[in-house]
Amino acid sequence: MKVVGVCACTAGIAHTYMAREHILEAAKERGDSCFIETQGTIGPEYVLTDEQIADADVVLLAVDVAISGEERFAGKPTVRVGTAKVIKDSRGILDKIQELLDKKNAQ
Amino acid sequence: MQVFDKFKPNKLMGHVLTAIGYMIPLVVASGLCMALGQVIDGDVRNSTTGLGYYLYTAGNYGMSAIVPVITAGVAYSIASRPGIAPGLIVGFICTQIKAGFIGGIVAGFLIGFIITCIKGYLKVPRAVQGLMPVMIIPVITTAVASVLMFTVVGIPFTWLSEFLTNWVTSLQSGSKFVFGAVLGGMACFDFGGPVNKTASTFVNGLMIDGIIGPESVKFVGSMIPPFGIAISALLTPKKYTKAEKETLKAAVPMGVCMITEGVIPIAARDLVRVVFACVCGSAVAGGLCMIWGTGAPVPHGGLLTVPLFTNPGMFLVALAIGSVITGVILSIIKKVPKDDGSNPDMVNPLDIVAGTENQPKATSSIKDGDLQLENF
Repeated sequence: MKVVGVCACTAGIAHTYMAREHILEAAKERGDSCFIETQGTIGPEYVLTDEQIADADVVLLAVDVAISGEERFAGKPTVRVGTAKVIKDSRGILDKIQELLDKKNAQ
Repeated sequence: MQVFDKFKPNKLMGHVLTAIGYMIPLVVASGLCMALGQVIDGDVRNSTTGLGYYLYTAGNYGMSAIVPVITAGVAYSIASRPGIAPGLIVGFICTQIKAGFIGGIVAGFLIGFIITCIKGYLKVPRAVQGLMPVMIIPVITTAVASVLMFTVVGIPFTWLSEFLTNWVTSLQSGSKFVFGAVLGGMACFDFGGPVNKTASTFVNGLMIDGIIGPESVKFVGSMIPPFGIAISALLTPKKYTKAEKETLKAAVPMGVCMITEGVIPIAARDLVRVVFACVCGSAVAGGLCMIWGTGAPVPHGGLLTVPLFTNPGMFLVALAIGSVITGVILSIIKKVPKDDGSNPDMVNPLDIVAGTENQPKATSSIKDGDLQLENF
């Protein structure tokens, strides 16, 4: 599947970037295409392009705080989860999302 | 109800965390400017010019912006951009009526609530729709929230702040130790996370009111995790992976500057044991700080600002004692990682109690309830 996402944590210096790495790693393992934007204290980095968002099957928001630019994902299947969960088991989350997507597409 | 989606109980903490995220750089910038000013000019409070005076004054202004930024942050998180202007204004009111941080957070929720109501229920003709974001929402919200803060909502928080201030100053030595221990434990509990920031907002509020003892407790709580873990890694290097030793090389200098987050990767691998050891060390050090009457006049800056402290020597002794306690406890309870570098830990505390921590786990720990879905 094709995933885009945003990571953001409270302090915006540690969990944000750890979450991004974990998601990318798990996506690579699964063979998913994956782009993750970070919104740390420094401001947005790895900003998603409109094409990446348009192409994506699902939006993964690994966020503990309010983020900016959420309107970009309007109408897309969106999964919201805390950064801690992503860092703990990003593979499990992606597998779960795949399962949910399959269920949705089968409908 | 759809309109009040943002007020679901599981979302409330997120609003506060958003605000705290905005507040952190403000506290660090203001605190360090104040500290630098005091280093440059020893008598900065009576100066009227010079580099030290400029920096100190800049920091002072920054400190007075903390509550407005918190209120605006909470309001922004709930109501997005229209929340910022009323948030800054009403946050400023909170500072003036001494309703403190707690008042500021509540004011942010109040503003978010008012804006949500206006957006959800106030229907205006198309012709004046353009006025909604720039005029109608900010003016109505600011007016209503300000009057409420001055008259009804703010008052209990002013009392609460006063009560807390009096309570902390009147503590006797036994309860002083307990108070310091609790604060110290909280300050290090989640390595710069929400619990730390809760303790932090509380002591920053006290510091602004001139009670600087608890602030020094926050310092030890924030610095003990990196120092304690480093001591433990020196005592029992085998219990740390190569990557962790590398991480420590960055985490210790960060710790000197009072940034705890550097140790998170090490803590994450062995959460229960690391947190336990850090809380023990920090609680003892925090209690000692309160009893020994150390005080930090600045909210951030780590070892660089220690010369400005009240009783800096005793502060360093407390810091050293706490770090050693953490290091020794951690070295005793930590286990040697497996050869493949994979991680035996990430242990559920219940598994330790049940003695099942080394049994293989189910493949995925993710439950349906962990994910919030939209458009599925």
